[in-house]
Amino acid sequence: MMARLILGRVMQSVPTLFGVVTLVFLLLHLVPGDPVDALLGETALPADRQALRHEMHLDQPLASQYIHYMRGLVRGDWGTSLVDHRPVLARIRERIGATAQLALVSLILAAGLALLLGYVAARHANRVLDYAAMGVSLCGISIPNFWLGPMLMLLFSLWLGWLPVSGNDQPGSIILPAITLGTALAAMLARLCRSCWLEAMQADSIMTARAMGVSERMIWFKMAARLAAIPVITAFALQLGAVLGGAVITETVFDWPGLGLLTVEAIQRRDYPLVQGCVLVIALWYLLANLLADLLGLLLDPRQRAGGE
Amino acid sequence: MVSMRIRFLWLVLALMMLVLMLAWLHGADPAAVDLDAIFAAPSWAHPLGCDDLGRDLLARLAQGLRLSLLVAVVVIAISATVGITVGIFSAMQGGAIDALVMRLTDIVLSFPGILLAIALASMLEPGIGNLILALTVVGWTGFARLTRAQGLSLRRAPFVEAAMGLGVSPAVLSVRYLLPVMAAPLLVEASFGIAAVMIGEAGLSFLGIGVQPPMASLGTMIRDGARVMLVSPMLVFWPGMVLFFLVLAANLLGDALRDQLDCRAN
Repeated sequence: MMARLILGRVMQSVPTLFGVVTLVFLLLHLVPGDPVDALLGETALPADRQALRHEMHLDQPLASQYIHYMRGLVRGDWGTSLVDHRPVLARIRERIGATAQLALVSLILAAGLALLLGYVAARHANRVLDYAAMGVSLCGISIPNFWLGPMLMLLFSLWLGWLPVSGNDQPGSIILPAITLGTALAAMLARLCRSCWLEAMQADSIMTARAMGVSERMIWFKMAARLAAIPVITAFALQLGAVLGGAVITETVFDWPGLGLLTVEAIQRRDYPLVQGCVLVIALWYLLANLLADLLGLLLDPRQRAGGE
Repeated sequence: MVSMRIRFLWLVLALMMLVLMLAWLHGADPAAVDLDAIFAAPSWAHPLGCDDLGRDLLARLAQGLRLSLLVAVVVIAISATVGITVGIFSAMQGGAIDALVMRLTDIVLSFPGILLAIALASMLEPGIGNLILALTVVGWTGFARLTRAQGLSLRRAPFVEAAMGLGVSPAVLSVRYLLPVMAAPLLVEASFGIAAVMIGEAGLSFLGIGVQPPMASLGTMIRDGARVMLVSPMLVFWPGMVLFFLVLAANLLGDALRDQLDCRAN
């Protein structure tokens, strides 16, 4: 029963995966005119043009380009960078660790802050502390990370000199990027924590426990927390993927040598195969996180199992 | 809570109007380079000072603000029109078309945040038109899913069956009878959508694949300001504040609408 549900959910992501790969393949063909013109300029020699066209397989019909692309993906040949002629997959492999590190630290930070804010808000629902906590998280959602980053850098690195300005080679380098990336996540999760906690407090079991004289601490941190945990955990799993969207910009702001910075560098150098590779890896990571979130939901929540088609 | 939000919303809108009014009264050209006024401090001639090319900051802020609002409204209008049309059609037709539409939205939603818009914009020629296109490709899916979900539950409603039985055409049925019933969550989606598009526009412009110079976008102003922030921190502070307040206003509107209309969209 359980195995079938899980298998069913995994199978559901196969067509999506296909679609994502196809879309990433087609991206290259959005380049106006001819990508070769964009890369070499209009004054290039016809021979060079032809060579690059051949290198990118643009001289073949679209269908065979597609088959070639798919076959390459499966075999681990994701094409070569147009700038330094190294395999795209190797470039990505060098950078993915830094992004994973940044994402993990931001998420841990975000989860801690969200639990704290969510608890304070729920505990003091519709009172001053609640409004304050929710006001803070509304600001956190609304603040653009490409502005928060420079402002933090200005204050803590340039003026106060407490933390390194950019890069990832010094102790403490991760602090500012992690705060920049984690703020929006923390704010989103805090709102969720508050509403889930409050909803859990309405449960019949909580009313009964209260009537029986179970301590408030026990009720809030054990009983209600357990009820509220499922949606919060699945949302957290979703954020494992969503964090990458913000990472592209955060890494650019702080020169953090991860996938996001690689993507932006590739965009600026018009290194189309590398852009495709980066976008694909990030989308795959995101798909996996969504799958994980759904599977966790199935595992943790009997209601979802019963409700599953 | 609701009244507090609305009051705050008015305050933010009034502030934004003030920036626009002041810039209009002041009347400086946002693109006029004045090499004598490079990094000029605030003065009567330049109320907020000048940037690294001697351009008037207030005038550029106003231009960026107008652009941000314009892009947001255009993107959301197109996204909503496309999304709602596709959503209703999909719900009413069902079958293969419905499945295809859902797979399409799945694919778009398989990219985190604005990554798909970044990918599209980076391949297309940079400019406002393609910026709007890239953000719309991402934006329509929310409206389509929301409309479809509601359409599915309304398809068997008595008033819909009655209308169909009386021979009302599908177009009239959708616009006159279905849309008003479905409007509440769509409005909420649109307000949060405006917030997302404003951040998206500025984000793409920040990365250099959105609005192109000499036109001012809050995103490009933040990027250019960050490069010289040790010399003149206000050049990055002000555009960010304006963008922050715009996004905050859209989010406040979304929250207020959601609570007022009592729907759990988004």
